[in-house]
Amino acid sequence: MKNNSLFNKLSSRLDELSNLPKLDDKVSISKLIEEKGFSRREFMGWAGAMASMLMLPANFTPLVAKAAELADRLPLVWLHMAECTGCSESLLRSSTPSIDSLIFDYISLEYHETIMAAAGWQAEHNLEHAMEKYKGRYILMVEGGIPHGQSDYFLTIGAHGKTGEQSAKEASENAAAIFAIGSCSSFGGVQAAYPNPTNATALSNVTDKPVINVPGCPPSESNIVGTLLHFILYGTLPALDVFNRPKWAYGLRIHDACERRGRFDAGEFVEQFGDEGAKDGYCLYKVGCKGPYTFNNCSKQKFNQGTSWPVQAGHGCMGCSEPDFWDKMGIVHEPLGDRLYHTAFGGLGSDATADKIGVGILTVTAVGIAAHAAISLIKKPKE
Amino acid sequence: MIKLIEKIEGEAKLNFNFKEGKIDFVDIEFMSTRNIENILKGKNAFDALVINPRVCGICGHAHLIATVQALESCYENLELSNKAKSIRELTLNFELIQNHFKWFYLTLFPLFGKKQEILKATYPSQLMAKAIAVFGGQYPHTSYAIVGGVVCEITHMDIIKLQHYISQTSKFVEDNLVKTDSKTFLTCKDADALLDYEGDLPDILREIKKMNLLGHGKSYDRFISFGQNSYFKKGKSLKTKVSHNISLEHVKESDIASSFAKNVSFKDEYYEVGPLARAMINKNQLIADAHKKYGDSIFSRILARVCEISKLLEHSKKLIDNLDLNEPSYIEPSMDISKLNSIGYSAVEAARGTLIHKVEIEEGIIKNYEIITPTQWNLSGGTKEKQGVSQKAMVGLDDVKTAELVFKSFDVCSVCTTH
Ligand code: SF4
Repeated sequence: MKNNSLFNKLSSRLDELSNLPKLDDKVSISKLIEEKGFSRREFMGWAGAMASMLMLPANFTPLVAKAAELADRLPLVWLHMAECTGCSESLLRSSTPSIDSLIFDYISLEYHETIMAAAGWQAEHNLEHAMEKYKGRYILMVEGGIPHGQSDYFLTIGAHGKTGEQSAKEASENAAAIFAIGSCSSFGGVQAAYPNPTNATALSNVTDKPVINVPGCPPSESNIVGTLLHFILYGTLPALDVFNRPKWAYGLRIHDACERRGRFDAGEFVEQFGDEGAKDGYCLYKVGCKGPYTFNNCSKQKFNQGTSWPVQAGHGCMGCSEPDFWDKMGIVHEPLGDRLYHTAFGGLGSDATADKIGVGILTVTAVGIAAHAAISLIKKPKE
Repeated sequence: MIKLIEKIEGEAKLNFNFKEGKIDFVDIEFMSTRNIENILKGKNAFDALVINPRVCGICGHAHLIATVQALESCYENLELSNKAKSIRELTLNFELIQNHFKWFYLTLFPLFGKKQEILKATYPSQLMAKAIAVFGGQYPHTSYAIVGGVVCEITHMDIIKLQHYISQTSKFVEDNLVKTDSKTFLTCKDADALLDYEGDLPDILREIKKMNLLGHGKSYDRFISFGQNSYFKKGKSLKTKVSHNISLEHVKESDIASSFAKNVSFKDEYYEVGPLARAMINKNQLIADAHKKYGDSIFSRILARVCEISKLLEHSKKLIDNLDLNEPSYIEPSMDISKLNSIGYSAVEAARGTLIHKVEIEEGIIKNYEIITPTQWNLSGGTKEKQGVSQKAMVGLDDVKTAELVFKSFDVCSVCTTH
């Protein structure tokens, strides 16, 4: 019953959207997808996968497909701040058949520029024009941390020498929805790591509009595309956790659905990279996996079209979708456990135990793990 | 008449000074910075393995490999299995290959009045990214290489997947880039003969000829490359004279007042880095022929970059055939990092040229870190008397459009330049 009313709600939202003008009358997304050689069946398969990721039942698949086709009613503006462009790179590599990238390419006013920006280029007036024309209608996606306050000059963009902070503020003013893509625009990111020399901060700190965070360094392509589809479907903000992350993607810990979880429960740990346990896929907790403290769906969605993800490759999770993971989740190859937290700042930072931080950000799991793995926390002495 | 035209290219600002209708001087400025080197100071040495790939989402993998090698060079007698070495080389090759495809179809195409070929760019780059993910778990931003080796334990199944990705990519080259079998293309020694082939690359080369741009974009004809592995050689090339005896000691970085980027020189001279430099130093016959006919022009530069795709695919096949899966992936260093006081260097070949990392460690903590990126070499902003490589290549051109083409033939990456 509950599903029924949701189904109806989403359907009428999509009907409303279909009355809006298209970005371009001559082309449509479904035609484009067909032209590029994807069959209807492939497209529906893709929509089915998306529906399940968004935690919708299978009978919602046609709705997701319709939402994708209606994506051209909502233009997209993509802004680059202080970053490495890894997030748009991640997107560029989204699924083959490349339906995601097609959709993005088609609806995006600036995306065209973005992929050029991947090689270093951008045009400013296009952007201003787009923001004027689609005032109040466009979806804003921002990639990168934002140097702000007196340090804003560390990022100046475009011919008018505007600071990144100004551009982000302005673009946020008239957006229909705002998404911070990646840990940088969600939380400040690597450039905000101690001592944060450029005073970089999150998008949510420079605008007073609501910002949905899609962190990850980079976030998987499916989380980026899923966020967009979710908005098209619902027209409202998704259910969010305390860090404004959509729950459908960031509701569970990496650890909860990790393929090595059985090993963890059995107390079978890789003690050192390259040992027999590493060959047999033991749990990576003791070589630094931060999966128990990290909320994301990597263990289910994986990366590069489901090819793999760090834990599958044998490297522990580094907690990249958590705020300030640079400073809070180090040292990279060591477990947080219950040992004293090694501050990177030689005493300038607060010396808290990982537990406190763990409990602060997360749950009591941290304590559980400490007890569970403590038995052999002391690694074999080296000379 | 002196005319000034300002152009913004990504995060770089170019000021074109015209004199009598020709470009007289181009001022290059970078307007942003993230200051990653400062962030590294005081961090645990191994954390650099996670931080540094984030210097750049476009060539981040080269930064990972440079980091791990710089850290390893801090140790005495560190052991590394051949398997680990080859695997690192493979993932780096894959990064270079996917980068060249994107540059060709996304950056270069529109400069010749063609539409960006997004799917042609993404299809092969996705294959290569998957190949990296087989080893590294994800791309961009993997941290799978660690001091002492790599974390992955790959299986025969993985090898089959990799071979599949490589052969699909080779097939894409044969069906699109140069329409002939790879062997013919790889053994071709005559640059002009390429003009008679079908395919996206010959199309572009013919276009260059048609537009009378064959000799455009020449610079100092001075090349350098420090990254050494089983394929690339270290060395410098002055015109065609190659010597392999060069040392990182002579590489100098200097500040520029007006820009966030720094200049890089070797023995106080600017050198070109990148695929053309590598091909000249490796004495690649096809590129040597192009160079003989058209000098260090956009023709040679573009050809060298695209040609590297096929060369690296071929070399990667060999590396995979020779992988011995029984070797260890990781050999534990004999000394704990927390006891280490040392200085280490590394140089690797990233897509755009030589990338150098230098690290200073005190009891396992980073005391100092320096990064020199490839684009810094090519884009060093010299004075009018002593111009940088790309600056010099643009002098004398009579319009900004051609200058833009010349500038972009260096495949500029402003992201990591302003690290
Ligand atoms: S600690 Fe890491 S590797 Fe182990 S089960 Fe949890 S998430 Fe997986």
